[in-house]
Amino acid sequence: MSKDEGGATSGDNQAAGQDNFGTPADPAAVKKGGKLVIALSAEPDALDPTLSRSLYSRYVFQAICQKLYDVNEQAQVVPQLATALPTVSGDGKTVTIPLRQGARFADGTPFDSAAVKATLQRHLTNARSARKSELGPIDTVDTPDANSVVIHLKQPFAPLVGALADRAGMIMSPKALQTLGDNFASAPVCVGPFKFAKRVPQNSIDVVRDPNFYDATKVNLDAISWHILSDASIRAANLRSGDAQVADSISTQDYGALRGDSSLSVLQSQSLGYQGLTFNIGNVDGVGTTPKPINRPIAQNAKVRQAFEYALDRKALVQAVFNGLNAPACSPISPASPFSSEEAQACPQHDPAKAKQLLSEAGVQTPYPVAMLISNTPDSLRLAQALQAMVKDGGFDLKINPVEYSSLLDEQDRGNFELLQLGWSGRIDPDANITNFVGTGGSQNVSGYSNPQLDAALTQARQSNDLEERKKLYGQAVTILQQDDALIYLYRQRNLTAVSKKIQGLQVFPDGVIRAAFAGFTK
Amino acid sequence: MARYLLTRAWHSALTLLMSTVVVFFGVRALPGDPALALAGEDRSPEALEAIRHHYGLDQPLPIQFAQYVGRVAQGDFGVSIRTGIPVSSMLTTALPVTVELSLLAILLAAALGVGAGVLAAVRRGRPAEWLANGLALVGLSVPHFWLGLLAILYLSVAAGLFPASGFVPLLQDPVGNLHHIVLPAVILGTGLAAIIMRQTRSAMLEALSSDHVRTAKAKGLRPRAVITRHALRNSLIVVVTIVGLQLGGLISGAVVTEQIFGLPGFGKMTIDAVFQRDYPVIQAVVLLTATAYIVINFLVDLLYSVIDPRIRVTGEPA
Repeated sequence: MSKDEGGATSGDNQAAGQDNFGTPADPAAVKKGGKLVIALSAEPDALDPTLSRSLYSRYVFQAICQKLYDVNEQAQVVPQLATALPTVSGDGKTVTIPLRQGARFADGTPFDSAAVKATLQRHLTNARSARKSELGPIDTVDTPDANSVVIHLKQPFAPLVGALADRAGMIMSPKALQTLGDNFASAPVCVGPFKFAKRVPQNSIDVVRDPNFYDATKVNLDAISWHILSDASIRAANLRSGDAQVADSISTQDYGALRGDSSLSVLQSQSLGYQGLTFNIGNVDGVGTTPKPINRPIAQNAKVRQAFEYALDRKALVQAVFNGLNAPACSPISPASPFSSEEAQACPQHDPAKAKQLLSEAGVQTPYPVAMLISNTPDSLRLAQALQAMVKDGGFDLKINPVEYSSLLDEQDRGNFELLQLGWSGRIDPDANITNFVGTGGSQNVSGYSNPQLDAALTQARQSNDLEERKKLYGQAVTILQQDDALIYLYRQRNLTAVSKKIQGLQVFPDGVIRAAFAGFTK
Repeated sequence: MARYLLTRAWHSALTLLMSTVVVFFGVRALPGDPALALAGEDRSPEALEAIRHHYGLDQPLPIQFAQYVGRVAQGDFGVSIRTGIPVSSMLTTALPVTVELSLLAILLAAALGVGAGVLAAVRRGRPAEWLANGLALVGLSVPHFWLGLLAILYLSVAAGLFPASGFVPLLQDPVGNLHHIVLPAVILGTGLAAIIMRQTRSAMLEALSSDHVRTAKAKGLRPRAVITRHALRNSLIVVVTIVGLQLGGLISGAVVTEQIFGLPGFGKMTIDAVFQRDYPVIQAVVLLTATAYIVINFLVDLLYSVIDPRIRVTGEPA
């Protein structure tokens, strides 16, 4: 593996795999003004916090739509438009949030509890809302005064704060909501360091400094422009030519070359999500329907799936395919999460002999054939080939079926697969990374997996506001997941962002979102 | 003439209807579901249902088709499923980019191709012909994306002569616009220039050995006049046909070129729409492309009679 390690050691002394979130700008070292150009790997969808479903819209929102809560470097929730963490009543059903005073929306109207209420109600009632399920069992929203909002829940729901640190917590101007309605995305108005200026579909999104922002003096740049460039090497070329100063989602293949460029630095953080392998063990009629038995040993016998996991060498995999930049993962709980524990990070070690033994105990003939559905991107194909070679030693004959991404989503939801490779970008609260995927009837439980013990642990965890108790419950959940192995967690992606050294103060936290609003050009 | 135009119009309408049918049902026969692509990570059965309902995707296909045709007849292309932006406004932004890119590419290709073709024919067997032939071979065999990447690497990143990507509208900043679009246009035009060069060369060779050119030479006309007025004019018929036929190739080439240079044109829009299964956008793009083809073919036919009066647009012998 020496060849692969070489790519990560050039440049300055930061080692591959070591987090570098970036530092806030030094006011004495940056000048005011200038337009920052960010090369973005995919086009954001609708710029409407209620409807938005793509990760990339969060990059733009970060500059124009502040949230009740934000996430810091340690993946902890911190206040943003709220002034403190919420107070939760003893029964866990009443959540009170104190709000910032004196803030104004980009259209000059005041930010207050009525605006928060209007926003939350839109999230809960809009037919196409992508936020409804994230907000959980909200009953009513009260506004006792202009500076506080009280959320009444039907049941305790701990993941609420995590949701309010994402799009659900972005507060929209009631005036703009009234005039634009469903077309809010055409000219979004929130509280933010910048305000929306222009969008050229497929091409670019421009925002300009907002003089109404409560902390406007801390904003250095005049404007930010996101240019959509889906090809990683083109993004890298734009960075080198100076046409862009920032590029997101750098390929692990380009990492070495970019690190070697003295005019650039690479920010990196481990994501809260995961990439994994999902076995179809009961999804016959499509996701969300009652699971039915599938007459294949790998679907019926957990030993065969465990054998597959023992056949995997995660460390060698990330080293060979991703230059060691991504981190091996064995559970949905990131080590960066405050909910991580020893149980949550337990990992079955690579043991091909044990894999063969389990297969013989399961009474199947080797090599046991498995067909894997995977996206047809170059990185995925390299991963698939490495997996294929690896599990061969454990007694598996892995067949690779590459399909284009939209088809992959379709096939997985219909249950037309035996094994599939996909991932999840991750959320701050563990519940959002687990329950939907492995909980019985979960909207993304494409495996058709169901275990009442696991469901009980997850329900208890989402209804508890005690960090230690939740930590323990998620540890238990991971143990159960590893016994059943319906979803084998493989690795955690690293968010790699290349930044010109002409720019200071750009940061990327574990949620993967580029924070550019308070950056500035070096003097 | 009027009868000819009427027949052409009727055929064109039929072609458009056929392509609308093929695309409408073809794109829906593809695996993949726009609601799923749009829902992305945050998908739940209710959300998927709401998206399908909002965009009318839950209606039976014949009803969806009837509604679509009805709306298009009124000039309404619907709303992009991906971005929620009206398709007509996306087309208005994207169309000028692709038209400008294609026109510039054709102009460059025609100037270069005809020039090199004439030169190669007139200087037959000399180094000029070898050079022109060699360049044409390169132009034909090297794919656009590769040339584009090389151009970005050497002309943008290393030399800093052109921007690596991006676009400025012509009316907003003509100089900036040209600066952004010249490189993609040259790359896009290379293949076409090579084809034009080869065709011009062989047509010129044929023309140069024909009776009327020999007569012209015998009358003592200057060589330049013989080449331009007698040989080249006849050869241009072939060139015009080739340019017309190659426009299709140019549009598909534009898809790749726009993607590489990040130009917000039709090509980029098409690729993104196909990946996202953004039905309204795909349909609109194909409909407009088909219309463009029909118009171009018609113009090519008209041009024939301008270049060579022996050809009448009625198709009947003069």
